[in-house]
Amino acid sequence: MKRVLLVTLVLGAALTVALPGAFARTEATQATPGITSNTIKIGGTFPYSGPVSSYSPIPEGMKTYFRFINARKGPDGKRGIYGRKIDFKTYDDAYNPANTVQLTNKLVLEDKVFAVVGTLGTEDNLAIRPFLNQRKVPQVLVSTGASYWGTQYKQFPWTSGWQTDYIAEGRMYARWILANAARQKIAIFYQNDDYGKDYLNGIKQGLRSKTNLIVSELSYEVTDTSYASQIARQKATGADTWILVTTAGTPTVRALATAKRLGWKPDQIIINSVAATDGVMAAAVASVGQDFVNGAVSTGYLKNNTNPKYAKDPAIRSYRRIMSKYAPAGGVNIRNSFYYYGVAKAYDFVKLMYKAGKNPTRASLMAATAKMNWVNPYTLAGVKIKTSKTDRFPIDQGKIVRYNNGSWSEISALYKGR
Amino acid sequence: MRRYLSVAVGPALFVVGAVVVALLPRFMGEFRLLEFTFVAIYVIALLGLNILTGYSGQISLGHGALVGVGAYVAALLSLGRPGLELYQLDPPSWIPLGDGMRPVFTIPIAALVTGVIGFLIGIPALRLGGVSLALATLALAVSFPILMKRFSEVTGGGGGLNLNLPETPFGWDISTRHWLYYEAWVTAGILFLAAWLLVRGRIGRAWRAIRDGEVAATSSGVNPALYKTFAFGVSSAYAGAAGALFAIETAYVNPDTFPVSLSILLLASAVIGGLGSLAGALFGALLFEFLPIYSQEPPIFSFHFAEQAPSVVFGVFLIVIMLLLPGGVAGLFRALAGAVRTGRFRRRSDTSELA
Amino acid sequence: MAVPARLPRIDLSVGPVLRSLLLGVGFIVGAVAVLVLLGLVLTQTETAFSWSGYAQQIVSGLSQGAIFASLALALVLIYRTTDVLNFAQGEMATFTTFIAWSLMHHMSYWPAFALTLVIAFIGGAAIERIVIRPVEHRPEIVIVIVTIGLLIALNGLSGWIWNPEVKAFDSPFSNGTTEIAGVVISYQELGVLVVCLATVVLLWAFFRFTTLGLVMRAVANSQDASRLVGVRVGWMLALGWGLAAVLGAVAGMMAAPSQFLDPNLMLVILIYSFAAAVLGGIDSPIGAVAGGLILGVLINILGTYVDFIGGELRLPAALVVLLIVLLIRPQGLFGHKVVRRV
Repeated sequence: MKRVLLVTLVLGAALTVALPGAFARTEATQATPGITSNTIKIGGTFPYSGPVSSYSPIPEGMKTYFRFINARKGPDGKRGIYGRKIDFKTYDDAYNPANTVQLTNKLVLEDKVFAVVGTLGTEDNLAIRPFLNQRKVPQVLVSTGASYWGTQYKQFPWTSGWQTDYIAEGRMYARWILANAARQKIAIFYQNDDYGKDYLNGIKQGLRSKTNLIVSELSYEVTDTSYASQIARQKATGADTWILVTTAGTPTVRALATAKRLGWKPDQIIINSVAATDGVMAAAVASVGQDFVNGAVSTGYLKNNTNPKYAKDPAIRSYRRIMSKYAPAGGVNIRNSFYYYGVAKAYDFVKLMYKAGKNPTRASLMAATAKMNWVNPYTLAGVKIKTSKTDRFPIDQGKIVRYNNGSWSEISALYKGR
Repeated sequence: MRRYLSVAVGPALFVVGAVVVALLPRFMGEFRLLEFTFVAIYVIALLGLNILTGYSGQISLGHGALVGVGAYVAALLSLGRPGLELYQLDPPSWIPLGDGMRPVFTIPIAALVTGVIGFLIGIPALRLGGVSLALATLALAVSFPILMKRFSEVTGGGGGLNLNLPETPFGWDISTRHWLYYEAWVTAGILFLAAWLLVRGRIGRAWRAIRDGEVAATSSGVNPALYKTFAFGVSSAYAGAAGALFAIETAYVNPDTFPVSLSILLLASAVIGGLGSLAGALFGALLFEFLPIYSQEPPIFSFHFAEQAPSVVFGVFLIVIMLLLPGGVAGLFRALAGAVRTGRFRRRSDTSELA
Repeated sequence: MAVPARLPRIDLSVGPVLRSLLLGVGFIVGAVAVLVLLGLVLTQTETAFSWSGYAQQIVSGLSQGAIFASLALALVLIYRTTDVLNFAQGEMATFTTFIAWSLMHHMSYWPAFALTLVIAFIGGAAIERIVIRPVEHRPEIVIVIVTIGLLIALNGLSGWIWNPEVKAFDSPFSNGTTEIAGVVISYQELGVLVVCLATVVLLWAFFRFTTLGLVMRAVANSQDASRLVGVRVGWMLALGWGLAAVLGAVAGMMAAPSQFLDPNLMLVILIYSFAAAVLGGIDSPIGAVAGGLILGVLINILGTYVDFIGGELRLPAALVVLLIVLLIRPQGLFGHKVVRRV
């Protein structure tokens, strides 16, 4: 009985503390939600937990950059953007679109954010797109390479993307393969979902009439524990070019390890850019050896922050400075390119906010997304952040990069994916 | 007099609860209304799970999949063939999809379809004992997202389906958010009453008899097969109704929305709320809705946890609650009520009835 | 631990051992026969069928199956000794594998391996005493939720302590491969299979020939009766969990080289292992191994040779086959029929 009383007291105490917060009435009096004289409140949802939690450095990179902006004096002498500090509220949706919907509702209705920035995941963004467009809340710089954001802007004018999309990237691989006539038998190993299929489509589009060069296209499921079955078949086709469309993490490393184990070393391995991260490559090297992985090719639109060639590059140095000064407590591995991705994206958001004017409104922010035209120092030389009334892909360029001993080097001219 | 009081407590509480639910929107902002709408949805789902696992004693690790079935049925029906055409989807003609119906009508249909499926699952489930049944239902939970992805000609595959954003039907003059809230809670109320009638009647007694001792129940003349499959059917129908409301409220369905973890967390919430008690569904639903959101932003603490901290805290919380309150929150209230009623606050030596 | 003198002497007669051996051999022969028959059928139905391709699918199925079987053994051990279905078994295995990974930065493979097993044993026993003991006599569903809570907590903890990025894990077996009749087998895969079989033999011998094993079987059979005979039941249960944790650690360290290490290493494998354990009979270690191997091969064959199923529906299809087997034989392939006494 004592135990029952104790538990009741504890529960009661917890309720008394939590309940007032739960029932607090929120006022809706601001003209532009999220904008006050000294703050800009934005929000986004990210998979901090769950199967794709390895992407969680992205929002942390963004937050770190925003902390830097809030501390430094801008071109007008004020800290933040025109004197307004950025407050970036993030929630964990564990990559489940239902969670994304509820948490985004919370951001818009309760936290009253000015805009939803950088939310990660194609399906997650698809889930919230109608709601945000109905409420006229900007959904910008989404962290996914699906092409919807760039192609469906007429239907959904409040949504816009950022990175080079998967289809465009696929086209780049095709173009590079065609330009190197030596290897002409392509095997594609892809994750069986929209992400993988987008790449596949892009590659086929890029090959145009020469899709017969593809001798094998096999997929895997996230629930597969072994790819030996598929990769053995791909080896049997005698393909010399192997394109991996796998997610960052175990699938990529497993695929490489399986190929090595089956005694197959294709002349050219291509790894899609999402998977070609430092952590993945390090694990791959530890498993299959440096020789196996050296020479692998990918695309990039961002400077590779682990390439010694960029050690003295002002952008990389600023990245290192910002990370060491403003990173979250506990230390971060700045080699992880997801932090770098976050920083690069945050840079563009800040630029957008400046373009949105001294008294930004949601409409002025969206107008700015249709008039982007600048260079982001964190991207490769030649890449332009550019949009127009008819082109809503801020980044649609990239270079082919080759991996060697821990870093990626550019080996092609700048390709335009769209 | 005491007897009349104790009989009247249940219905009185229900009436009080109904009044509270009806008046709550006055005191809440829009987001809180949305959260409580989801609470209603989870109440319905947990009522179903409670009937299956709590009253008839059949463990289910696949309830989330059945919720998903209801959600997809509702999504497909409310979009109709014209809506699906926008996704370049053309399901086989033998599937009776109309031209898109009002979302509110999809609820009973989704419940019916899911109920039938559940009943059919219940038949082979009779042969399977505890562990095997757990595996079978887990297999259901695992397979559901895979099947939804595979049959993308019907379901929209990985990209999922956006339902039309909800709107108040029949031109009534009430905000959409309020409409959804009342839609969910009225459905929950009706289904709660239905469950209450089932549980306190002959069927409920049969279920409890089967749960507590199948052999004894059989020798008393109860046909376990009939009641157990019926429990599966009813439980699934509830899941289907919850799923339909879920689809309407979220306005999006896709395979990732109904992962294995949904089934597991529903079961955990049902147990923490309290099995074998319908009120337990309410506590479980409150937990299921509010804990994940507010564990990311605890009003008490303000320092930065690691990203994985909420998972660890939640896991430990499950363990601790089970250690302290094996009967769930409802069990706690029952113990309290029992202590009040008998005026005894000392430790009882007899084992109080569990679940 | 007091082992009273009144326990029967261990039966070392040849008869039953020989019988088990013959049963095992018979099973293997039967399995081979079925596979050969199936192959013959497939030569007729499949256009691009090759025996070496078929054999390759079987071999890789066996190696996957060995991974499922290893974890299934741990599940079975806990179920057999303590009647608990431990959903956290996979996460316990992952956690201990992470510990091993950290240790291997400071010492070579085998010392780290051994130390990990010790840590796993202590951890498993500790979990039993601290977390499971208080709810032992509660309804089954309560214990299930406790193990689920353990699963969630350990999964988060692994990610918190070691961060979620994928890591490579060393293997005690050499990296090479060997080729027999066009079928490639890696030493790693062979090693995992051998370790798995050795483990089940050791486990079987433990239960059959040692006093401790006998006592544990007694406890599993009836805790009250064992108590009456003077067995310290509590310690036996903790021992069971400790041993199972050791098996889990072995499973994790066998799986990690090919699966690669991250907090979700065992999440999917747990489902397969659970299925394998139930298929084989949730209280039979031999069943766990048989179940795992069968499941692995089944998934590969269904996925490769049945077009409708293909890669996408392998797992559901295999589960359906499993459930059909269970409907015919609810106690699993090697399980014991549950006799309900009125």
